[in-house]
Amino acid sequence: MFEFFNQPEVIKTIVTIGSMALFFVGLFGLLTQKHLIKIFMSIAIMETALFLLFIGLMYKKSFLAPILSDGQTGFTNMNDPIPHAMILTAIVIGMAVLALGVSFAIEYYKLTGKTNIDEMTSLRH
Amino acid sequence: MSFKREVPTTVMSGFALSGVLVLTILNILLQNIPTKIQTAGDELLKLNSSEGVANAVTSVVVYFRGFDTLGEIAVLFIASLGIGLMLESNSKCDIKAEGNFMLQTASKLLFPIIMLFGIYVMIYGHLSPGGGFQGGVIIASGILLLLISHKNFEVPHSVIIWLETLAGVSYVLIGLIGLVVLDKFLGNFLPNDISNMGLLLSGGIIPIIYIIVGIKVGSEMSMIVQNLIKRDGDV
Repeated sequence: MFEFFNQPEVIKTIVTIGSMALFFVGLFGLLTQKHLIKIFMSIAIMETALFLLFIGLMYKKSFLAPILSDGQTGFTNMNDPIPHAMILTAIVIGMAVLALGVSFAIEYYKLTGKTNIDEMTSLRH
Repeated sequence: MSFKREVPTTVMSGFALSGVLVLTILNILLQNIPTKIQTAGDELLKLNSSEGVANAVTSVVVYFRGFDTLGEIAVLFIASLGIGLMLESNSKCDIKAEGNFMLQTASKLLFPIIMLFGIYVMIYGHLSPGGGFQGGVIIASGILLLLISHKNFEVPHSVIIWLETLAGVSYVLIGLIGLVVLDKFLGNFLPNDISNMGLLLSGGIIPIIYIIVGIKVGSEMSMIVQNLIKRDGDV
């Protein structure tokens, strides 16, 4: 019964639906939450959805990871290495940028004692 | 003031509708992809055999997209610099709580193993899954363990500055040497025979550049972790 899930169309559909669902979980959090750090967490969840979409769309059954190991002679029947390479760097950059945002939030809290974005009206007056 | 934001139902239903539409369009597009499509990755896999590196992802990150990796490391450096500017200025006090004796003993046991694993992942990045980014983050997690277990531990700032500077400068220098020798930025000027594929000393400059990336990522992540964990005490 699991052969059904190994068809490439089914895999791509599942990956697309799942990552879009995760993306909209993050978007829902971004729209409904007011705590600054929760908003950054929502952005991180949306990032994760994109990583899963990129990696999952390039998955092909019976294709190997693009690493030459014992018993293999050439780079045939291997998955596309480009999404792996791009997501590899995107994860690290996303983490660093998230840390930068959180540090802004910490510094703002130290200065004003506010974490609710509705109260951040310093520039309005 | 409450932390819940009132979002109108029309807005949420509009977002849900647009999500469904995007999903439908993506699905229609994806179902019509021909199975025998020629992607850039297939070309790179063919080219990869000439570089003598067993891990194709590494050769894509470090060699074919090496210039982009340099830019990504610059982004990481700028993020680390921003965090340092934001949080470093008044971080005189350490964290209040010290880890209990179990955490301290376990950190003495685990820290060398974590560092060894990080360095292994970094050095064998061109042969097995892993590489500079992953190894650097593993090393930073070892530093994090020391920071939460020992109250007075501090990453030596001058050492980190020199490591970062040397790593960044040597990345650019290796690229410029390739430009001089092979007329191509980040050209592979060291011996990279295919017969050596799978050995530790193979692939020319690719493992060297990935080790440099690992040193840079590790030092920057350690500084980020330390800046985030050392607080004024009242926060």
